[in-house]
Amino acid sequence: MKTVGVTRPIHDAAGKASGNTKYAADVMLPNMAHVCLVHSAIPHGYVRAVHAETALAVPGVLGVFHCFNTTQRKYNRYRSRFSQELPLEERAFADYVRFVGDRVAAVAAVSREAAERAARLVEVEYEELPYAVGFDDALEGKNCLQGQSPTIKEFAAEFGTPPEGGCVDVESFTQFPPIHHATMEPHACVADYDPYQDQLVIYSPNQSVHGIRVVLADYLQMPYHKVRVVKATMGGSFGAKQEWFTEPVAALIAKQLCRPVKLVYSRAEAMTCAVVRGAVRASVHGKYAPNGTLRSLDVDLVLDAGAYVGNACDYIASIYGKLFRCYRMEHVRYRARVISSNTPVSGAYRGWSAPEAALFTERNLDAAAAKLGMDRIDLRLKNTLMPEDIDRKSSLPVEDIRIHEALLRGRELFFWDRLCEEDAVFNASNNRYRRGIGVACGGHGNTYYPRHGDFGEGRAFLNEDGTVQLVLTVHDHGCGTVTAMKMIAAEVLDMPDGDIYLGEGDTAVTPVDFGCFASRTTFVLGRTIHDSALALRDTILDRASELFDLPRQDLYVENAAVRSKSEPGVCISYREVAQTTMLKRRRNITAAAQFANVTNPGVTGAHFTHVEVDTWTGFTRVLDYLAVHDIGQPINPGMCIAQIQGAAQMGCGAALREELVVGKDGRCTASLSKYHLFLAPDLPNIRVELLTEGRSQEGPFGAKSIGEVSFVPSAPAVCSAVNDALGSELGVLPFTPDRILTYLAKEKEESL
Amino acid sequence: MIVSFYVNDRLVQLETPPERRLLDLLREDLHLTGVKEGCGEGECGACTVLLNGEPIHACLTLAIQLEGCHITTIEGLSAPGELDILQNAFAEELAIQCGFCTTGMILSAKALLLKQPDPDETMIREALSGNICRCSGYVQIVKAVKRAARELREAAV
Ligand code: FES
Ligand code: FES
Repeated sequence: MKTVGVTRPIHDAAGKASGNTKYAADVMLPNMAHVCLVHSAIPHGYVRAVHAETALAVPGVLGVFHCFNTTQRKYNRYRSRFSQELPLEERAFADYVRFVGDRVAAVAAVSREAAERAARLVEVEYEELPYAVGFDDALEGKNCLQGQSPTIKEFAAEFGTPPEGGCVDVESFTQFPPIHHATMEPHACVADYDPYQDQLVIYSPNQSVHGIRVVLADYLQMPYHKVRVVKATMGGSFGAKQEWFTEPVAALIAKQLCRPVKLVYSRAEAMTCAVVRGAVRASVHGKYAPNGTLRSLDVDLVLDAGAYVGNACDYIASIYGKLFRCYRMEHVRYRARVISSNTPVSGAYRGWSAPEAALFTERNLDAAAAKLGMDRIDLRLKNTLMPEDIDRKSSLPVEDIRIHEALLRGRELFFWDRLCEEDAVFNASNNRYRRGIGVACGGHGNTYYPRHGDFGEGRAFLNEDGTVQLVLTVHDHGCGTVTAMKMIAAEVLDMPDGDIYLGEGDTAVTPVDFGCFASRTTFVLGRTIHDSALALRDTILDRASELFDLPRQDLYVENAAVRSKSEPGVCISYREVAQTTMLKRRRNITAAAQFANVTNPGVTGAHFTHVEVDTWTGFTRVLDYLAVHDIGQPINPGMCIAQIQGAAQMGCGAALREELVVGKDGRCTASLSKYHLFLAPDLPNIRVELLTEGRSQEGPFGAKSIGEVSFVPSAPAVCSAVNDALGSELGVLPFTPDRILTYLAKEKEESL
Repeated sequence: MIVSFYVNDRLVQLETPPERRLLDLLREDLHLTGVKEGCGEGECGACTVLLNGEPIHACLTLAIQLEGCHITTIEGLSAPGELDILQNAFAEELAIQCGFCTTGMILSAKALLLKQPDPDETMIREALSGNICRCSGYVQIVKAVKRAARELREAAV
């Protein structure tokens, strides 16, 4: 292959390096109003009055919007397709507030400063209600949401039959706290409304332009063609920009004011009022054969949805499905509950339920290895899915899955066995630092299928000069989707990817699509563009055959030209084919393709970590990190590696530092000074190994997904290493210095 | 107040409240939107610009502090349509994903290279310790700075 598999920078790298690329917050339109939100100051209650007079008197203020002067209609932030039946939960401005940070009002003004100043002057009167923060409050039955029990939903499922006797029992407990996506770009959006055409335009960094259209059009009672949503350059998402809360507010105000408006979140708003990865705790009872085979996993799980249910009911069901993506499961019993609390709203986060599944599964496997006296890699090798196995939940083949190989390769490249010995020597020779190594595996999907039907549509046009334009609904998160799609088409058409144009999602231009999540982009949309390019290639060959009177079966493409097997002298450039077709046939050369996948192969990775814990300070340093991924054919390998390294960074954060703490007063961490992310000096040179032999059947050139699966094993692998270093069984994340010191103090007390 | 200072070697005079942030002067008054706001509290580094060659947070610098100062923003590194050696190294070494941290990251790296033409990996990581990148594991960023340092040294001889 000439293009696929050859690393190159993303399409807008130069624009971003120069500062020229515009993000939503950079957009300035004539007559644009700036919007600043007012948030609930209480965790739970009713808004009884909004006093806006002082705010309205601030020069430049155009309006103050709140529950008493805007529509009472509601929408669901998680909805992204027309067919989803979800309760309508949320008003643009709440009359019934559910958490500190709920939207109560908004001020629009001619300048950002005026909007901010006026927003501080809006006075809200509340009737306060009792509230609940976190698991314990809700599980004790404390009131969270009016008219609902704290337990919103229960889900139970069982696969296989429980083993009879002869098993070793292993109990474990894990807990993920709420965490912040920490996209460097806080949420932002621009909305514009033309009352004469009844046309709304939304410009926002988002993962689904059509998802927003469905929600906004229904919410504002507009026909779909009157709502145009354009995907803006995205300063990171990781799931944070796939649920809708800025767009409905901006749209409502733009419509009311009949002028463009811009809404940009502050960091505090992005942390507390947008979306968080919800807290999940799981008690697991594993049963293992004495040789390490996992015979049964019994899971009891609770997810804290926060103040709006959003995706939580689907999420707990999805965790069950993810259990079958990496290991052979003989028997699984799964019970899960969604609880609500008066805390920030849970939602999508990179990996969508797989990281939770991996955390509790991997912890149980580690505990089993300890109990059975086995090496942690050996125990996993006994249980991984193997090529040609079936995903027992979906009944689909996992195809050429390579998780077994990933473990073996990682063991070798990480010098696992040698590190075991070296750490033992190191730990015996000093009484302050303790070193340990960790391993974890994780699996994910490549598409919604079979949970939902999935499909894509792409179009391709040949220009008069022989360059190509593609149309596909993609949403580049920054990881290079646009470039990858162009590379796929370039490979099919045998032309430079620099001669291909592809824009991003725009509901006025690109076909209806479910959005860039569920790791479906490369697998489903990549194959769609592959097929579109193939159709274009066929059309080019058909036209060349007719117009130049050449036998069709002899023709092929090479270097952006049509060649003939039988007549080596024939070389008709794409440009010539295009121009001749236009002049002689009065036609364009265009093609379209739709693709609906029927597979969802296994896609997995194994991560290996080496850490050093300072037992005096409780601080953990990551000394080495290796990620081995079973990726099939990488389209742009360098960018796959870059994404995986980013996932490793996030996993280190999730394991060791990151936690949104909600206080007893319902207030949540609202500053990066209190939410610690991994910085350049904190990380080793993260190593990545791609296993490319396990090709998918349906993905473009055998590609599989990478964006989400790369995050799945990362936090569990770091936790595994810390537990190895300390000989502990810690499961409550993050392993902060405080938690580690508390553990060490307890251990010391017990040993006395 | 009226403040006079230099932005990318050009003298600018702006009428502004003294407590207005440099970030807003650049983005809103001068339309230099290459500088980004990621936190507004000095934590993320997305707003990094150079003040007399030193990296500073434009979100924490006020108009009143600027009189006579020289500010360099990302737009000042290269002519329109071009990239300087450091910017180019970031683009080519895959050090850019979502790009929201990029301009601040490049300016922190620039400040390092102005002082230390041959930094080792630890120095580079330290110099970037005020710039958060959520998309990467910093590996390509470090590589890009190393490459730029090498190319700049080569260009100097
Ligand atoms: S915006 Fe200034 S440091 Fe984050
Ligand atoms: S490239 Fe996205 S934050 Fe650095």
